[in-house]
Amino acid sequence: MIALILRGGVLLALAAPALLLAVLALPGFLGRPWSESRVGLLTQAAFLASFGAVAAAGLAYAAGARVPLVIHLGGWFSKDGGFSFDLLVDGWSLGFAALSVGICGVVSSFSFRYLHREPGFQRYFILLVCFVGGLLLVALAGSVEVLFAGWELLGLSSALLVAFFHERPAPVDNGFRVLAFYRIGDACMLSAAVLLHHWAGSDSLSLLFSGGAGHLSRLGADHVVTIAVLLIAAAAAKSALLPFSTWLPRAMEGPTPSSAVYYGALSIHAGCFLLLRASSLVQYSAATRILTAAAGLATAGYAALSGRAQTDVKSKLCFASLAQVGIIVVEISLGLNTLAFLHMSGNICLRLLQFLSAPNILHDLHQLENDLGASLAAAEEPPAAWGGALYLFALERGFLDGLMDRWLAEPLERLAAALESLDRRLCRIPAAFFGGGDGA
Amino acid sequence: MDGAAPDARLKGVIERLAELLPAQGPIGIFIHHNTLHAFESQDFEQAVVSAGEKLSCEPFLPEEEYRREFQSGRILEQDLRWALGDELGPDAARAVFDDLTRLELRIRIARYGIPKAAGASLAWLLQETPVLRRFREDIPNDARQALRNGSSARDLWRACLAAARKTPAAPFVPPAPPARHRDLLLAAAGTDTDAWVNPVLIRLLGAFLDQGLARWSLPEASRGLYACFLHLYANSWASLCGRWAARLPDLIREERRLGLSPSASLERSLEVLGVGGEEAAGFLEATALALRGWAGMIRQLEERPDRVPARSRPAAVMEYLAVRLLLERAALSYAASRLPGFGATLSELRAHLRGLLEPPPLASDEERAWQIFHAAQLCGLTAARIGGLSAAQAAALEAELAGFDETSRRRVLQSAYDRHLRGRLCDALSARVPAPTPSPAAYQAIFCLDEREESFRRHLEETAPDCETFGAAGFFGVAMYYQGATDAHPRPLCPIAVKPRHYVGEMKIDPSAALARWRRVRRRQSGRLGQLLHRFNGTFLGGYLITTVAGPLSILPLVLRVVFPGLARRWSLALPFSKTPATRLLLDRRPEAPPIGAHYGYTKEEMAAIVGNLLRGAAIAGRLAPVVVVAGHGSTSLNNPHESAHDCGACGGGRGGPNARAFAQMANDPAVRALLAQDGLRVPEQTRFIGALRNTCDNSVEFFDLDLLPREHEKRFGRIAADFARTRRKEAHERCRRFENFPLSGGHGAALAHVEERAHDLAQPRPEYGHASNAFCVVGRRSRTRGLFLDRRAFLTSYDPTQDEDGSILESTLAAVTPVVAGISLEYYFSRVDPSGYGCATKLPHNVASLLGVMNGTQSDLRTGLPWQMVEIHEPVRLFLVVECAPERFESVLERLPTVRRLLDGRWIFAACLDPNSRALRLRGTDGYRPWTAQAPLPSVVGDSASWYRGRRDHLPIAEIIPPPEAALP
Repeated sequence: MIALILRGGVLLALAAPALLLAVLALPGFLGRPWSESRVGLLTQAAFLASFGAVAAAGLAYAAGARVPLVIHLGGWFSKDGGFSFDLLVDGWSLGFAALSVGICGVVSSFSFRYLHREPGFQRYFILLVCFVGGLLLVALAGSVEVLFAGWELLGLSSALLVAFFHERPAPVDNGFRVLAFYRIGDACMLSAAVLLHHWAGSDSLSLLFSGGAGHLSRLGADHVVTIAVLLIAAAAAKSALLPFSTWLPRAMEGPTPSSAVYYGALSIHAGCFLLLRASSLVQYSAATRILTAAAGLATAGYAALSGRAQTDVKSKLCFASLAQVGIIVVEISLGLNTLAFLHMSGNICLRLLQFLSAPNILHDLHQLENDLGASLAAAEEPPAAWGGALYLFALERGFLDGLMDRWLAEPLERLAAALESLDRRLCRIPAAFFGGGDGA
Repeated sequence: MDGAAPDARLKGVIERLAELLPAQGPIGIFIHHNTLHAFESQDFEQAVVSAGEKLSCEPFLPEEEYRREFQSGRILEQDLRWALGDELGPDAARAVFDDLTRLELRIRIARYGIPKAAGASLAWLLQETPVLRRFREDIPNDARQALRNGSSARDLWRACLAAARKTPAAPFVPPAPPARHRDLLLAAAGTDTDAWVNPVLIRLLGAFLDQGLARWSLPEASRGLYACFLHLYANSWASLCGRWAARLPDLIREERRLGLSPSASLERSLEVLGVGGEEAAGFLEATALALRGWAGMIRQLEERPDRVPARSRPAAVMEYLAVRLLLERAALSYAASRLPGFGATLSELRAHLRGLLEPPPLASDEERAWQIFHAAQLCGLTAARIGGLSAAQAAALEAELAGFDETSRRRVLQSAYDRHLRGRLCDALSARVPAPTPSPAAYQAIFCLDEREESFRRHLEETAPDCETFGAAGFFGVAMYYQGATDAHPRPLCPIAVKPRHYVGEMKIDPSAALARWRRVRRRQSGRLGQLLHRFNGTFLGGYLITTVAGPLSILPLVLRVVFPGLARRWSLALPFSKTPATRLLLDRRPEAPPIGAHYGYTKEEMAAIVGNLLRGAAIAGRLAPVVVVAGHGSTSLNNPHESAHDCGACGGGRGGPNARAFAQMANDPAVRALLAQDGLRVPEQTRFIGALRNTCDNSVEFFDLDLLPREHEKRFGRIAADFARTRRKEAHERCRRFENFPLSGGHGAALAHVEERAHDLAQPRPEYGHASNAFCVVGRRSRTRGLFLDRRAFLTSYDPTQDEDGSILESTLAAVTPVVAGISLEYYFSRVDPSGYGCATKLPHNVASLLGVMNGTQSDLRTGLPWQMVEIHEPVRLFLVVECAPERFESVLERLPTVRRLLDGRWIFAACLDPNSRALRLRGTDGYRPWTAQAPLPSVVGDSASWYRGRRDHLPIAEIIPPPEAALP
């Protein structure tokens, strides 16, 4: 009975957003989109169903033997070690899934009113459903294929929501940047998946996620470290850890609720969750532990420092969120998984509330002043050391934009240009050889 | 140049260009103003076009939007005929060729339009769509008839092509090349240096102007932007801002070594950039407009440092430009170094780039024929007739079409659009027999003249036919700095043009000192906690504690406030310390020095003058009822940086409750009444004034100082309170018809609950629609408009021409009212016709910057104007002012009000005079007054307002609401 509820709950939780996506998107393709109120109703119903299912599964899990369960959904060429679609259900996955769906339900209720009469209303909700689907897949992934699919859905919907107002150039430009950084993470994750297949002959994540160090013994030590480093890099790109933090303030171009749920709350914690699941990998060697801790600590320091000089409410909030993300990563590197998870949920809920009420800042501060009966305390003088360099560093967000352009974007551009000219030259060879014209 | 000191010359240039910058102050105090105030000396129709070119904004709505209004009957062909006839004058009947008059040709083109197509898009239309296979569907019947008898569409096209080829294309006048290096660079090489410079500048300006968001303050900010920039960016780390900034620290160090003042630095930058003296004004103007929201805020704080009492900064546009040009020099020299084949200095850069620009091609034969082809279809000219045109005739037709370009068509359509709405009010006023005034009235109520009070007054009069309402500027003559008992700072409550001299405070009079103390301590505690949260939210350890301890708990307020806003509101109201304490206004003159302003409180003489002016101006004196309610208004909403834009314009974007309360207290004062009686204005002893605050968002009404109400008035007030309670439900219902997510079938109670929830919902971007329906302003007796359903479109100011012998009351009324209402009307106009140019576009991505304004995302220009959610249902028309007086009186008053006159003469607003003794209306035009002749009968409906509006969402025509027979009895 308990096993049935567990299995059924997880499947229903996944099926609800998938079904909703089909129901929302199809009429739009046929040129007869749903009315706003229908979209609201359908979305709320599906999110409620999904949340209820996860909650039921969670209760069943807690009431049962609390052993991780692998649900095999199917495969493709799986006999020859091909692709397999597995879910891995345990406390972490159910917890994160419940949190994700619950939070998205709240945000969809907010968005339903906030985006009323917006031309991109349908598009927004379709992307939000993709996001929930992606999060659930990431949370429940039992094989690299499922994880990767969820990871991609997350990234794609995220970049498209940053570029939601595509009639202006800035959101599109920034959406593109976000996508570019996500691709770096995706490439790392894909490499990890391929290497895992290659070395272990299996893509089961239960190997990496749920087991202790003993499960990793099938792999050589350097293999484990390689895969761990790749996964840490993937998580770093998704969670805007250093040196990838530059995209985070740029992602504030979308509607407030999407900025809130992605960069204040859930999406930015997806990397943390990945590390949490793969904590046996992180814990595997001192090198990976130190690498993780260093990334987390540097990010937290960077974000706390940058946040001090920001003068707009959304930048302030995203750096506040990022500082805690950095600390959560440190906690994971220390093996404090339960604390990390609690900290993560706290950060998610608080930042979401703060982001959703960010436009209320004037009202709130006015109220604060009235309660205090005086002006708010004046800003502090920043340290004057090094000719104010610290302040400049904070104001310019660590110069990451310039540095990334210089050391990442420009070399890539040059490489692409070189490849393009090579390609063009290669194309000219047959023409010269056969004496043909350019073919206009 | 002419020997003037360079410094003074530059100052003059900057003074002139600063006029062009948006004049919107800090967003917490939102004051509606004419977006194009700098152009007011021009005609409206010229001004919008020239401003549009300068600021890259739209002058009018898109053509299609006007054409849609023909279908709904909002514009009639008759209106178009008038508008064009007016514009063309005697030329209207001149023939273009044969019997085709200019008027006829233009009417058809304006009405049906010529699809925009050129170059590749025209080629596509011609080849891939059926435009040449059949005639247009949307052409007038007579034209279709004429064409049917001729040959095919393709023949017509060939004839048009042949006609176009008969004459050479008109020589093309290339537009002046842009003044800025950046614009040329972008056009010629595709490099945008603003994309490098702006983010750095935006962060710097945000930090410089910050009013309390950042934890760290900008070092050296007190020395001004320029000195602060030189200090900060001389650091060699600044070169990390991007490759373009590699030379920036060196540049700045050199600047520092030279020890230049901001103006000298500006001179030097102009020289380095090769901008000569004559050209400097245009160049600097374009440079300042590159980030005009931020530059405008600098300007506002330069002129009115008192608008940010918390942290004022030595802001100056001159320093801003000096900094900007230093950054641009760094960026341009890097961009120039990457430009192939350019090795000269920056001063040569523009000449080099201009050489790279290609002149746009002449109009092709097809493009010219396309215009003729459509004109021929609209006028029913067959291929034979077009073929028969001589070269001169074809040229005349083409010139006529070129002279009626898109901007001219939109201008004419706007004119027709405006005119039709004016006609509706004229029809209503000239058809309506003045309503009998209840005499004596059971009670009276004075409201703000705001058009949102029109519906409230109408519903109140329907609820209580024996009451009388008046309209006056909502600060009720009480211009003051006001500080409530729980306010941290005083704020001015009066029109922006007035600088208050009086300070008024508020005192708590809680019956129990212990309770008061408890409340105060609770407030202080919650304030301190909030401040800690605000300060340490983003820090390492503080943030850690907050997220781990308070974080998981925040799920409760999150779900409650987002998913159940109505419930959250009711619970928060139930908290014991959320109750506001009982208070009194400290209105009487006190000897001590006030915190701000010249006097602490008012003397009795000052009070008597204020009360006397209002009672005489609104013509209430002499007919006072036993109770007079004085109701100011304000609006509260959450998650709305533009909250203050919904407050009272006459209170300078504040809430008018304290003004109403102060007025009532003054008018109740026996000493004031004695002074008034000496002056010949008798206030009956039993008359009591009651101050009130009406919330235009959640429709609550709060009455002040009821504990002071004499016993004999209690029963009377009980009735008034019941009337107001019914009225606010009914008015909420009328407002709700505009909200799509309130069902049209909803009842009164549901409507009130709906508007209450809207005001307290974090997720609601449209807490109310504000002034979105404004169109008219009527200055006259209420009897002229009482019983008319004006659909919340009219500012209503009470004025009795029979009590105003020398026109002085009219003069003071118009002087106070017109600038406020014209400001509202024009701000809405511009934000509606170009929502992302003049307005600040959709609210959804807005981000509060420096507590002064909003940006899109984290590094955009400050967005000024109104958001789309506020203006989306607005009809962008110019205000129509109807004054109940003779034209001669009006003109003589205008003589003394040059600013109002300038608005009228430039057609920024329109006006008409309503005869005090008859129903005749005379419209003020450029060539004198024209009598109005009724165009359409006034619709009427028996019942109440709901009988007219029920089940309908859009703007409604004006109608007469005839009370059912039983209700008409007093």
